[in-house]
Amino acid sequence: MIYNILFLTLVGGIPYYLILEKIPAIKSKHIFLLSAFLLLSTIILSAYVPNEHKTSLVIVSLVSSLFTIYKATKTTNFYKLAYYFLFVNAPFFVLYEGESALYSLSLLLSLLGLYWIGRFYERNYGSANYRYITGITLVRPYIGTYLTFYLIAIALYPPFPNSLFFLKYILGSESNLLWFGVVITLFFGNFFLAMNVMKKTLFGRPNSHIHYVHMTAREKMPHILIIGMLLLFSVFGLKEILL
Amino acid sequence: MSIIEKLNAVKSTVPHYWPIGSFIHHNPLKGFEDMHFKDALVKAQSIFGGKAYMDSSYYKDLYKEGKINDSIFEKNIEKVLADRGFNIPLEFAKKFLMEVSPQWSSLRVELLSKQEKIDNGLYAFLQEHSLYSDEKAWLAELIKHMTLYEINDALFGLDNKDGIEKSIIEFISRFLDEDQTTMHMPNRDLGMFEVFKLFEDVNYTKDAESFVEEAFKELQVQDIESYFLTHLLKLHGWAGFIKYRSEDPDNVSQQEYPSQLIDYMAIRLYYELKAVKSNKISTFKIFEAYADANLSDVILQLLKHKNMLFGIALDELEDNEETSKVLADHVTNELHLDALQIQHSNEVLQSQLPLTELSIILDKLREEEGYIWLKSLEDSYISHYVDEVINVVPVEEKAIASATFCLDVRSEVMRRSIESLGAYETYGAGGFLGLPIAFVEFDKAHELFLAPAIIKPQNVVFELPIEAHEEYSSKKGMNKTTKKVLSDLKNNPYTPYIMVEAIGWIFGITLFGKTFSPIKTNKFFSKMKPNKPKTTYTLDKLSADEIEFYVKKLHTKIIHTVLDEYDKRNCSEDNVENLRKHLLFNNELQHDLPQSLIEGLKTSYQITPEDYEYQKKKLAMVGFTLEEKVSYLYKYLTMIGQVDNFPEFIAIIGHGSVSDNNPFESALDCGACGGNISLPNTRALCMIANTPDVREKMKEKGINLPENTRFIPGLHITSTDEIKFYDTDILNDEQSKKFSKIGDDFNEASQLSRVERSQTLPFSKTKEEMLIKSMDWSETRPEWGLARNMGVFAGPRAYTKHLELNNRFFMHSYDYKVDNDNADILRAIFDGPLVVGEWINLEHYFSTVDNHVYGAGSKVYHNIVSKVGVFSGNYSDLKIGLPIQSVFLEGEAYHEPVRLISFIEAPLEMVGKAVENSIAKEFILNEWIRPIIIDREAKKVYSYENGEFIVIKEI
Repeated sequence: MIYNILFLTLVGGIPYYLILEKIPAIKSKHIFLLSAFLLLSTIILSAYVPNEHKTSLVIVSLVSSLFTIYKATKTTNFYKLAYYFLFVNAPFFVLYEGESALYSLSLLLSLLGLYWIGRFYERNYGSANYRYITGITLVRPYIGTYLTFYLIAIALYPPFPNSLFFLKYILGSESNLLWFGVVITLFFGNFFLAMNVMKKTLFGRPNSHIHYVHMTAREKMPHILIIGMLLLFSVFGLKEILL
Repeated sequence: MSIIEKLNAVKSTVPHYWPIGSFIHHNPLKGFEDMHFKDALVKAQSIFGGKAYMDSSYYKDLYKEGKINDSIFEKNIEKVLADRGFNIPLEFAKKFLMEVSPQWSSLRVELLSKQEKIDNGLYAFLQEHSLYSDEKAWLAELIKHMTLYEINDALFGLDNKDGIEKSIIEFISRFLDEDQTTMHMPNRDLGMFEVFKLFEDVNYTKDAESFVEEAFKELQVQDIESYFLTHLLKLHGWAGFIKYRSEDPDNVSQQEYPSQLIDYMAIRLYYELKAVKSNKISTFKIFEAYADANLSDVILQLLKHKNMLFGIALDELEDNEETSKVLADHVTNELHLDALQIQHSNEVLQSQLPLTELSIILDKLREEEGYIWLKSLEDSYISHYVDEVINVVPVEEKAIASATFCLDVRSEVMRRSIESLGAYETYGAGGFLGLPIAFVEFDKAHELFLAPAIIKPQNVVFELPIEAHEEYSSKKGMNKTTKKVLSDLKNNPYTPYIMVEAIGWIFGITLFGKTFSPIKTNKFFSKMKPNKPKTTYTLDKLSADEIEFYVKKLHTKIIHTVLDEYDKRNCSEDNVENLRKHLLFNNELQHDLPQSLIEGLKTSYQITPEDYEYQKKKLAMVGFTLEEKVSYLYKYLTMIGQVDNFPEFIAIIGHGSVSDNNPFESALDCGACGGNISLPNTRALCMIANTPDVREKMKEKGINLPENTRFIPGLHITSTDEIKFYDTDILNDEQSKKFSKIGDDFNEASQLSRVERSQTLPFSKTKEEMLIKSMDWSETRPEWGLARNMGVFAGPRAYTKHLELNNRFFMHSYDYKVDNDNADILRAIFDGPLVVGEWINLEHYFSTVDNHVYGAGSKVYHNIVSKVGVFSGNYSDLKIGLPIQSVFLEGEAYHEPVRLISFIEAPLEMVGKAVENSIAKEFILNEWIRPIIIDREAKKVYSYENGEFIVIKEI
C-alpha cells in the first residue's frame, strides 16, 4: 500500500497541483525538475523492486491525466507544459512500471529538450511562455527544428522513440477496458497537446513586437545531444519492434 | 454622405489587384501618391502596420560596404537636424544612427533580464508622456482597425475570425472563379450579393447598400468610413481584386457576373452580424459599456490577442493574478525597458543632455532614420552615376546593325554584350514600342492587350497562318481534348478519387522525368506539342464592304445552325437571310417561326441590332490606316532618337520568360505589354516599317529609310538569354548571308550575358543549368527578373555605353534634339514607360521592406485560386505583391529597395513641360521617384527635392 501511494506521489500530478503549485517560492521549472527526478528514481526503483499495480491506482492516475490534459490546454509556458506532459503519461508508468522504462526515458529526454528551450526563452525573453513568440520556424529555424523534433516525438509520431516504445508495450500487453482508456487518453492527449503548441509557436506570422534572438553554439549543444540520444533510442526502438 | 460615397472615400487605400494571368506590377500604395513619399509611408504604416524602410542594420551594412557615401550621409543628417530644429551635434546623431539604432531592438531583449537602477526623473517623464497614462486613449489605439467579432475573439478567447474569413473566402472565390472549377456557382449573373442571398438562404429583399446601412445601425457603428476601411483591410487582396473588376468596364467576367465592393461589404457584415449575435458583445455600445466596467481586463486581453503582452504578464494571467495588477506590472515593465534603453544608449552616445531631452531627440531621430538612410543610399548612387556619365564624349561610328530592346533592366547586359562584339548600336524603348495593340493569337479566341495597363489599345491585330497547318490542327485538337479531359477530371470535386487510382501513374512519368532528367523530358514532350505554322498579321484596315461581309457571315452561320436544328426543311438561304434581316433591321418575317426560337437567337446568340453595330465597330478596329501606321512608326523612331544613319539591319527585339509550374510567370514577361510576351508588337512594327508605302510617307515626315534597310523582329528569352529572330524570309540571299553573321554575334552575346548573369543566380553556372531552371517545376527562382532594379536612364545610349549597370537600370533611348518644344516625346516616355517603371520599382521596394504586409510570402505554400491569383494553403487572402523568393536570397534581401532614380538627359525647361502635362506628374512631384536632370546645354545636373529643382553638379 505504502509502495503504491509512493508511486502515485512520484508520477501522478495531483499532489503537485494541490501543494507545490500553491507555494509561490516554488516555480514551475522547479516542479518539472523535481517531478522528472522522481520519475527517474521510480524507473530505477521499479527495476529493483518488482511490484504489481493496483487497478484503483491506474484509475486515479487516469483521472489525474485527464485533469492534466485540461490544465495543459490552459498554459503556454514550456516549464509547466513539460511537467504536465509527465503527468499526462502517468497512467502509462503505473500500468507498465518497469516495462515502461524506455518509453519513460525517451519521454523524459523529449521533455528535457522542451525544458531547455524554456530556459532559453526565460533567459532571453524573461519567461518560458511561448504564446507571443510566434512563427519561430521562419525567423529562427534552428530553434524551430529542435522544438519540432521534441514535439513530434511527444505527439507519438513514428519513427521517434516515444511512439515506437509506446507501440511495443501496447502490442505486447493484454487489453481490457482500462487499457483502452489509458491508451486512447495518452495517444490523443499527447498528440493534441503537442500539435496545439506547434500551431501556436512554430507556425504563423512572426511577432513584429519582439526581437528574435539567435541561439549561440553553446546553447545549441544540449539540444544536439538530446536529439542524438533520441535518435539512438529510435534505432533501439525499431530493433525492439522488428526483432 | 451616402453609404456608397463613404465607401468610395476609403477604397483608394486598397490598391488594384490585376489577375495573375497578366501580372501587372503595381505600387501597393498607389492610393497614397497624392502625398509626399515620406508622409505617405507614415500614413500607410498607421493603416497597414508593417515596415516602410529596411532595418537600420541593413543600411549600416551597405555603409560598411561603401555603397553609402559618408559625406552624403552626414549631409542628409545635417539637413534633417536643421529642418526639425534639433540642437544636437552631427556626430551625436550619426553615432546614434550607426551604433545605437541598429542595436535598439536587441538591446531591449538584453535588458529584459537585467535589474538595473532607473533614473527616476526619466521614468516619470516617460510615464507622463506614454500612451499608458491614458487608458481610454490606449484602448482606442488598440481597437483601431478591429471588427466587433475580433474584439469578441480577443476578450473571450473565441475563434470567430477564422470561421468568418474562411466563409467569405469560400464564397467570393467561387463567385469570382474564372473557370478553374468545372462546377460553377449557379446564378452568378444575378450579381454577387443576390447570389449570396441564395447561397446563405437569406430572406432579404433589398439591395446590398440597404443591407450595409442596416447592419451598421444594428452594430451601432459610430465612424462608418473608418469601419469600412477596417473591413477592407481584413482581406485587402480580395477587396483589391473586386475593386479592379468593378472599375474595368471591359472586364468580361464583371460584365457576366457583376460584383461591387458594396456587395463584398454586405457579405462581410452579414457574417459579422451572424457571429456577434451569439457573442456577449453584439454592438459597439455594449462594448463601450463593457470596456468602461472592465478597462484593465479589456486592455490586457487585447494586448494578449495582439501578441503585445510579455511572457511574464502572460504567466501572471495564467496564475489568475488580478488584472489591474498584471496591467500595472506590464506598464512598469515596458517603461522600465524604455528607460533602460535610453540610459544604455546614453552610455554609448556620452551625451551631456538631460535624459528626458535625450529621450525626445532619440524618438524623433528614430522617426527620421529610415528616410535618412534611404535618401543617403539613393544620393550616393546618384552622385556615382552622375560622375560616370557627365564627362562622356560620344563617338560616332557607322553601325552594321542596330537592335532595339525593351527598356526592361534585363536587357542591359545583353545590350552591352552585343555592343562589345562589333559595330552594333542598341536602343531601348518600352516593350510595346508605342504600338498598343489588342492581339488575337492564331488559334486563340481572346484578345491580349499588349500595352501598359493604363492604355487601352484601339487597334486589333489578328495572327493568321500563311502555310498549311493540318498537322498542327490535328495535334492541337488532340492535345486540347486530352488537356480538357484531365482538367475536368482534376477539378471536379468527385472524380479525383477515382482518377488517382486509375491514371495517377501517368503523372508519375512526368514527375520522375521532370525531376531527374528535365532536359530530356522537355525534349520528349516538345515533340508532342504542335509546331505553329508560319503566320502573318492583319495590319490593314478592312473596307466597309468587308466589315459588312464578315458580320453578315457570322450572323448567317449562327442563324443557319439554329434553324437547321429546328427544322431542316425551312433552312433555305432565303429564310435565313429573311430571319437575319428581321432580327437586325426589324424586317417583316415571311414564314412562321416560334417566338421562343427568335427570342433564343436574340438572347443566347446576341443577334440584335446592338450586337450588329458592336461587331461592326470591333471589326473596324482591325488593322491600321496608312496614317496610323506612319504615325506609330514615326513616333517610335523619334521616341528612341533613331531618325537618320539607318543601318542595313534594324532588329527590334521583344522579350518573354519561360518557366515551369510558376503562377508568377507573367510577372517575368514584359511589364509594358501588360505582363505578356512582347513579340507581337515587335513583329507588327517591323511589318509596318518594311512596307513601301509607309516608307514613302515617312519621307514626307523627314525620315528617309534606305530601301535596303530591313526591320527584323526578334525575341529575347530572359530566363535563358537566348535570342531568336522571326520573319527573316523577307531578306534576299545576300542579306541573309550578312544577317547570318549578325545572328552568330547575337548568339555569342547571349553566351556572354549568361556568364555574367550566372554570377548572381544561385546554382546556375552553366548554360545547361540555366536551361534546367527554366524547365524545372520545383524552381522557385527561374531568373531574378526585375529584382535589384534601381533606376531609369532616358537619354542617348552613348553616355552609358561604358558602364556596367548589372541589369539594374531601365534604359530608354531618348534624344531631346528630336523632341518638339512641348517635349511631347518625353511626356510620352513619362506617361508609359516611367509609370510602368515606377510600379515595378515600388512593388519590389515594398515587397522587400515588408513581405508579410506588401508581398506574397513564400511561393512554396501558394495555390492558384479561381484562376485570378494565389493564396497560401487552402484559404487565405489573395496574395498581393511579389513572392519572397523574388526579392530575397537565403533570408537576406537580394533586391536593394530604393526609389527609381530617373536620369533624364534633357534641358530642364523641357523636363518641366513634360512633367506638367504628364499623368506621372503627381508621383514625380511627390518624390515617389528620384528625378535627376542632366542638362548639358546649361551644363548643370539637377535633382528634384522638396518641391524644387536644385543643382547638384556643374558639368
